[in-house]
Amino acid sequence: MREAAVVAQPNPLQRIPGVAMVLALLIALFSVIAPGFLSVANLSNVLVQSTILTMLALPMTLIIMTEGLDLSMGAVLTLTSLCVAIVSLATKSMLLGLGVGLLVGTAFGVANGWLVAIVGIPPFVATLGTLGMAQGLSLIVSDGQSVVGIPHSVRDIYSATFLGIPVPIVMALVTYAAFHALLYHTRFGTYIFALGGNREALRYAGLSPNRLLIAVYAIGGAMAGIAGLLMTARMNSGHPTAGLGLEFDAIAAVAVGGTSFERGNGWLLGTLLGVLSVGVLRNGLNLISLPSSVQVASVGVLVILALFLDGLRSRA
Amino acid sequence: MSDALPIEVTSPTPLLELRGISKEFPGVKALDDVSFAVYPGEVHMLLGENGAGKSSLMKVLCGAYRADAGEFYYKGETVAIESTADAQKLGIAVIFQEFSLVPHLDIAQNIFLGREPKGRIPGTIDRRKILAEAKRVLDTIGFDIDPSTVVDKLGVAQQQMVEIAKAISQNARILVMDEPTAALSDRETELLFALIGRLKADGVSIVYISHRMAEVFALGDRITVLRDGRRIDGVKPADVTPDQLVRMMVGRNVDMTYPRHFADKPGEVLLEVKGLSASTGISDINIEVRRGEIVGLCGLVGSGRSEVARAIFGADPVTSGEIIFDGKSISGEPDLAARRGIALIPESRKSEGLALLRSVSDNLVVSALKKLFPSGLFDQRSAQRTADGLIRQLRIATPSARQTVGLLSGGNQQKVVIGKWLAAGSKLFIFDEPTRGIDIGAKSEIFALIDRLVAEGAAALMISSEQVEICHVCDRAYVMREGRIAGHLTRNELTEENIVRLGMHHA
Amino acid sequence: MTDITKGAIAPPRSFLSQDAIQLFYRLLAALLICAVLAVMSDSFLSLGNILNVLRQASLTFFIASGLTLVVLTAGLDLSVGANVALSACLAGTVIHTTGSPALGILTGLASGGIVGLLNGIMVTALRIPSFIATYGMLWVLNGLTYWYMAGETLHGFPAGFRQIGSGYLFGLPIPVYLLLVFLGIGTFFAQRTVWGQEIYAIGANPVAARLSGIPVARRLLLVYAVSGTMAGLASIIFLSRLNSAEADIGESLTLPAIAAVLIGGTSLFGGVGTVFGTFIGALILTLVLNGMNLLAVSANWQPLVTGVIVILAVWLDMKTRRRAQ
Repeated sequence: MREAAVVAQPNPLQRIPGVAMVLALLIALFSVIAPGFLSVANLSNVLVQSTILTMLALPMTLIIMTEGLDLSMGAVLTLTSLCVAIVSLATKSMLLGLGVGLLVGTAFGVANGWLVAIVGIPPFVATLGTLGMAQGLSLIVSDGQSVVGIPHSVRDIYSATFLGIPVPIVMALVTYAAFHALLYHTRFGTYIFALGGNREALRYAGLSPNRLLIAVYAIGGAMAGIAGLLMTARMNSGHPTAGLGLEFDAIAAVAVGGTSFERGNGWLLGTLLGVLSVGVLRNGLNLISLPSSVQVASVGVLVILALFLDGLRSRA
Repeated sequence: MSDALPIEVTSPTPLLELRGISKEFPGVKALDDVSFAVYPGEVHMLLGENGAGKSSLMKVLCGAYRADAGEFYYKGETVAIESTADAQKLGIAVIFQEFSLVPHLDIAQNIFLGREPKGRIPGTIDRRKILAEAKRVLDTIGFDIDPSTVVDKLGVAQQQMVEIAKAISQNARILVMDEPTAALSDRETELLFALIGRLKADGVSIVYISHRMAEVFALGDRITVLRDGRRIDGVKPADVTPDQLVRMMVGRNVDMTYPRHFADKPGEVLLEVKGLSASTGISDINIEVRRGEIVGLCGLVGSGRSEVARAIFGADPVTSGEIIFDGKSISGEPDLAARRGIALIPESRKSEGLALLRSVSDNLVVSALKKLFPSGLFDQRSAQRTADGLIRQLRIATPSARQTVGLLSGGNQQKVVIGKWLAAGSKLFIFDEPTRGIDIGAKSEIFALIDRLVAEGAAALMISSEQVEICHVCDRAYVMREGRIAGHLTRNELTEENIVRLGMHHA
Repeated sequence: MTDITKGAIAPPRSFLSQDAIQLFYRLLAALLICAVLAVMSDSFLSLGNILNVLRQASLTFFIASGLTLVVLTAGLDLSVGANVALSACLAGTVIHTTGSPALGILTGLASGGIVGLLNGIMVTALRIPSFIATYGMLWVLNGLTYWYMAGETLHGFPAGFRQIGSGYLFGLPIPVYLLLVFLGIGTFFAQRTVWGQEIYAIGANPVAARLSGIPVARRLLLVYAVSGTMAGLASIIFLSRLNSAEADIGESLTLPAIAAVLIGGTSLFGGVGTVFGTFIGALILTLVLNGMNLLAVSANWQPLVTGVIVILAVWLDMKTRRRAQ
């Protein structure tokens, strides 16, 4: 006689993904109160603007699944975007700029992973520290000034299209596909679930949780590097405070998307919807002329709401 | 129970043999020259008190600990077990009490963690193959479930089956099980025993750690007793009685003294629980405790006893019913219960009863702060004086009141937990497994202490899985079953059989 | 029939408590840094510089002292910097519109306290982990402050009010006196009140604390409210010292406050630490940054150095904890 799973069926709140409800609500809300929200031009604008956040939120999902957090992502993004700007300005080569940005980002990712896995510092403190370091370095290499005059090849990335779709969106889609394959179809992805859910199980299986953990944070750093290219392309310059605070939007997207902060469960599609939610929220508030400061505050409220709902659902 | 007959040991060569194994930690000799042999297809029971070395032996067997001295022989040949990989290669697998499953992965992924069948692209997993392989293993052990079920949706018994499947899939020939029936219902236990019978028939050996005499005699082919890190003896169940085993485990005649002075007539009602239900799974609990009484609360693991204790103390939210303490209705958080005079001595004293990094003195005064310092001003010296008094009164063995409480032995730690409520002047003491993990000498002391407390007018509600203790110590007892009170036993009716009978479910 | 502690490993306790020893080492470290700086720079030992260091340390200390209580409960308050900014802007506005410094001070303290209380509610009632809740609050406060100030700066406050942050009494800056006062109050609260003992118990083991009859939720609300109110106090000092308020003054305040708490020996995992330690921590941090200034190192390096110090302090904390276990 086939056995049934013993645990009771999920309550109604759990059947519809919370983030889908949130996104639908936000779209409905802004269609009504924000003029021009539902236009094709505006919606595609939202999609394009959300690509940088997507590049950060996807690896952030993996990191949060390991019961960790990376507060330094925004600062590292700022630093890598400056590197892209400075190097491409000096060498006239976009690829070299990307290469250096990728290198710097990955280095910070590895540093984060090392602090968390080997030294054993709690993730939010370790990444708070590296946030300070990345921020400091950004100020130092730019001397507080913007970097302008970078080659067109960089800027063109943001505005170019591939088969009619803007290149940033293509990059985001490719990234999503890559992460999906990584998490659900590779052994590494399986181990990420274990890093958060039961690290001992990995040790008994003869694997090294430390190396895996470093790899997860390194991926975060590398993605910050790639996103740095996009950021520089978008602003057509490098700025010492450009990406600061984006890690907050990334964490918000992951939280709203339903990935819990405990016990290794993650949902990439949820993060994507979370990114869209944050994007829609900011865009909508923009359209009704609320300054970015209020937008940030609203995202904060959104996170708190999402966590509260998450708490309710796991307790029900 | 199991109807598998003990296999006559015909093969002279054991499958696995340990000779002269020693393992030392700073200050403690966990294993001292232990020799141990496992034959194919036998169930080998490992007995011993807490701290006797069972868990250390288990860890050495599976390669989690490296032995300091001694040799290993596999089928007569010398081998080394210095890592979990070595042990796995020899076919040794351990089923721990805290399972090694990853909650959000499915059964198949858990079974093959680290050994996933490779897909065509390097690094990927062949999904179809992993599911098919998992199904095969599950069928082998007779566990019919969809291998793509995510593991945290399974009940404890099912998770244990997955653990066993995992071990079998690694071609384990020796399974080490640590109290596998601790969290199982009777029916699940029967299924487990049937599975063990099947494994035996296949020639798999099982090293089985248990505290339950019934299992030891029903299932065991041979019994090894450990005490203080040493192997005391290896015997066959047919050649020994439970009392003899206990004597071997304890090292002296177990004439356990239960110093108890039963009162002629019980005092006034101190605690009255009416129709209590809580979201933790208990319903319609009706209990009464009077001054001068020790009332037992029995039942199988999982029957809801701790939940009742916590609900009375206010630690879990109550959904219906009433708690009346000392004439007044009470409902709220633990700080209210504590103020009114209810004390809870929790089951896990290290994680719930003590702040291990703080001093004995800090832990002793923590529940009495408002009583000792009504003005709100705290005085360290005064606190220490109170602590010193309690240390003397309870004979807590500690170099000083400033000693870190985590360094005390289990029995003394338990005395500190009880002491903190003495300082608070509690009137009702709720004990949850008060003597778990405590050696016999300290157990007597604890019972004597509880006896003194109730003789002086307090009341006690005692949860215990040791039926013997309940029968000797309690004035009367309630028996729980599946979240409800199944029955009440007066002093005359208080026998082990009655407790077990009321606590088991029908069919 | 006593059973000598089976397996007890600890050596006999010296008469000095662990806490006192840790503080002693840190005081030594501070003195060492002073000695090094005195050698490397002529201007270090000048009166002006010393007073400057003391005043700067006191500013960090005000924020860090309330934060210490939160960290003692194994929590974290990342919103303190933003709290200071919002409270300063609100207080400044009130002083401008009503002309009353007293009302302004009250506003600053109340604003800080209310934010702290909200943090506490998120942690206790909504069960959100403190570092996430206060991190979210940080951004909410930031947003509110920037929106409220709309890019403007408040300046020009009454001379009497400015005395608080810029004035001197018997040659010492007033903030230093306030530092001593709050050092005293903080130490007294933590070591000599029942509430203080309960906070240590909560930090050491929150589950056991609750099951020992400590009203954990109420105490947590208290510590977050205190942390917020101290941020409010710091905002008043800032306001009176800088004679201006704008939206971004809080940005560089949180990390140094956390650093001070951690350097001072308060453990992130709760239950261990002292307010006096935080004072020494604030002193050490300020000395290091002051040293960098005197040696003409660009200010851009400060966040970097602070970040490294935070990591080192946590690493030290973990090593100490591992040894104790």
